[in-house]
Parts: sequence; structure tokens; C-alpha cells
Amino acid sequence: MFSERKILERLDRMLEDGISGTFEESDYDESQLSKLESRWLRYLTSSKLSARRTEEEREKLKELVSDISHQTKTPLANILLYSQLLEERDLDDETRRLVTEIQVQTEKLEFLIKSLVKVSRLETGIIGLSPARGDLGSVITAAAEQALPMAEGKQITIQYSPDMATAVFDSKWTQEALFNIVDNAVKYSPERSVINLSVNEFELFTCVSVADQGKGISEEDLPKIFGRFYRGENAGDQSGVGLGLYLARQIIEGQGGYITVESEPEPGTVFHIYLPK
Amino acid sequence: MVILKTEALTKIYGKGPGMVTALENAALSVEQGEFIAIVGTSGSGKSTLLHMLGGLDRPTSGKVFVENKDIFSLKDEALTIFRRRKIGFVFQAFNLIPTLNTYENVVFPIQLDGNSIDEKFVGDVIQSLGLSKLQDRLPNQLSGGQQQRVAIARALASKPAIVLADEPTGNLDSRTSQDVLSLLKVTGQKYGQTIVMITHNEAIAQMADRVIRIEDGHILKGGDVNA
Repeated sequence: MFSERKILERLDRMLEDGISGTFEESDYDESQLSKLESRWLRYLTSSKLSARRTEEEREKLKELVSDISHQTKTPLANILLYSQLLEERDLDDETRRLVTEIQVQTEKLEFLIKSLVKVSRLETGIIGLSPARGDLGSVITAAAEQALPMAEGKQITIQYSPDMATAVFDSKWTQEALFNIVDNAVKYSPERSVINLSVNEFELFTCVSVADQGKGISEEDLPKIFGRFYRGENAGDQSGVGLGLYLARQIIEGQGGYITVESEPEPGTVFHIYLPK
Repeated sequence: MVILKTEALTKIYGKGPGMVTALENAALSVEQGEFIAIVGTSGSGKSTLLHMLGGLDRPTSGKVFVENKDIFSLKDEALTIFRRRKIGFVFQAFNLIPTLNTYENVVFPIQLDGNSIDEKFVGDVIQSLGLSKLQDRLPNQLSGGQQQRVAIARALASKPAIVLADEPTGNLDSRTSQDVLSLLKVTGQKYGQTIVMITHNEAIAQMADRVIRIEDGHILKGGDVNA
């Protein structure tokens, strides 16, 4: 007969081995403990099995995503090409308007598919973010310059100073995240306003802030803006598919950082991007 | 999955003319993995609420459910053990044990429970909170921000159901506060940890997924997940 203490010790070891994945049945006899071991092993095997199935499903999802991104590229490029060829013909105004519309929608579809593929790749971990210590100044400059053409169209000034500030981040993806936020600010800012990019260093985190002079985000909208396909009430006719901020948050959180937002109708909206140092 | 829920939670201090209703009919629910901020001015009842969420104080009436368990149905001793296993606390005053070094403070609640230490997880938590190089220091050899990071590590190390933080940056300057909160937020994200934090600071509350507003013992806003 085992004493109670011995049995509990044995059970504890079974659990420990189960957690570390080294559990084996000790001996086979008619005791309750031996039966328990068998059932414990069966439970462990089935949970291992379901973990493997999840892994397999993930693999299939990855394939599907890469198929979609590859297989839609050519037809989309062709639609654009043919509509451009069509545009070169002698067309009446009405037809020309329709051709332009086809082009606009095709470009939008291309952008949407690209964004969705990015989101899906980030979510399933196909593209790993590879954060490394670097200078944030160059990323800020690059993102600001990328947003410049659209800002100039609305005579918006983007202020930034290329100060040195270090953080641990993936420069390509962080630039994308930052650009999405700046681009968003440009879209929702009035003409001739100012967007200010600044950096603030803390002991363990570095914060990049993007402040605009837009009309702000309503309190109801605030928790929703990082959702997929969410577009605010006053998004109106702004181009976009509602994935920019979602993607930005995925990217930043994937690197051990986070984003917060403060919004008031008067000074406008400020996004803070915190990255680990 | 709802991990924390209250039903008509009421706390009355004193009797007769000196009676104070600190909290009245408070109902809230928190989903697994959420980062919640409870905001209110001092005297609004937010500390009373947090103390009852953590089983530190019994309500006059009403219930608190943690992982579907009505915690006040437990006897005092069972409640103490429940608290040690399921709730991680982070206080304004850090409350580290002065004679234990960083590592010992972090694993202390696990040892109290007589459990073996998941070294890999604890090591990861210590590293995530930037404490790797400070493991052998005693609390008095650490700055305020560092001490609070140790307290956060201690709260996370036993993998509790909920971490309750009571003005975690109340004793820290604003720059250090930002760092400590950032780490709380990021480690919460990383480990899918449910966190409920009280603060009177609106800017700090902005970091949370959801803000619950409390005034004069009443929950004004944000009590429900979908509200």
C-alpha cells in the first residue's frame, strides 16, 4: 500500500512530467494509479494531437494566403493594363469616365489585397518581425517623406526633427506602421494645418508621437479605431480600406511595443507609439 | 471568456448617522486578457471596489466572481489561499520584502504555495521587465521604478487569473511612471494577462483597453464589456 503522501508525490511528478512533455507510464498493473497513468497519457496525447492539427491548419492558411497574393497579381495587373490601353483610344466623355472608374476601383482592390495579405502574414507569423537596435530618426524621416505628396496636395505641413533616438524595432515594418498613422493624420486633417512628429525617450521605452490638428475622434469611436475595416463616422469620402491602424497596431505590438491615442476636438488627435529600448 | 464579474456589490462603512456608503450596486465584468482602468477621484470608491475584487475586504452585500467562483462564499483561510493563487497585487507602496533580493521577492508567493518554480517562465518575466541585471539586489538598492517593476514581476510570476494594480505609479515621477506602465501594458499583452488598474490620472487610463468610471460609489460608465 502506498501512503497518501507517496501517492500525492507520484501525482505531482506525473503532472510535472506532463507539463514538461517527458511523461512515461511507469509499470502496468491493476492498481488505480496505473489506470490513472494510462488515462493521463491518453489525455496528453490527445492534446498534443490537437495542437498538431492547429499547426497543420495554420500551414494551410499560410498556403492559401500566398496563393491568393500570387494568383491575383497577374489578372489585376492585366485589368489595369487593358484599361490603360482603352484609355488611349478615342473615347467619348461618358466612356472615359467609366474607364477611369475601372482604374480607380482596380487600384483600390490591389491595395486591399496587399493590405489583407500583410495582415494575414503578420497574424500567422509568416513574416517575422526582426527588431534590432537602431536609430528611429531615419524611420521618422522616411515615413514623413512618404506621406509628403499627399500632404502637399492639402497644403499640410509635416514637422519633424531628425533627432537621434534609439529603440529596438524592425525598421521596414515600423516605417510602415508609422506611415499608416501619419497618412491617417493627413487624411483627417483640414487643409493648411500642421502635423507634428516628435520623439520622447524614457528609460526603457521610446515614444514617437504624431499630433494633428484635425477634428478629433469621438469618444465612442476611440476604442474601435484599431479594429479591422473600421472607418469613423466622419471618414466620409476619404480613400482607404480601414486596415491602416489595425496593421500599425499589429506591427507595433509584434515588437513588444504598444500604441495609445488621445483625442480632443480642439488640439486634435495624438497617437503615441511606444517601442522598447 | 468572462474572468471577473461583480453583482450588485455594495459596501457600507459604519452605522447610524456616521454611515458611509462607499460603493453601491456596482456591476462590472472583465474578459480574459483585458487591460481595464478604473478611474475616479479620491473618495469615489475605487479602492473599496478593488479591495473587494481582490478579496481583501468583504462586501456588505453583493457578489464577486473570479473564474466563476463566488469568492466570498469561501471561509477566511480558503479565501487567503485563493487570493495567493489567483490574484496578483501591485500596490502604490511596492510592498517588497526588504531582506529578500529581486529574484527571491519575485518567487516568494510561489514558494509560499509550496509549488515548484517554473524557472523558464520566471526568467522570461524577469527579462521582459528589464530586471535581469538586478536579480541580486535588495529592494533598498533599487530605484522606485525598479522596485515597482519587481512588484509587477512578482504579481505575474505565479500566473494569476487577474493582476490588480492600485495606483501603481502613485509614488513615481512621471517619466518613471511612463516606463512602469509601458512594461505593465506590454507584459500583459505578452502573457495574455488580465489586468485591472486603479488610477485617478486620465492620461494613464488612456493606455487601457477599457475605462470604468466611478463616482460617489457608483459605476458611471464602462462596467460592461460591450457598453
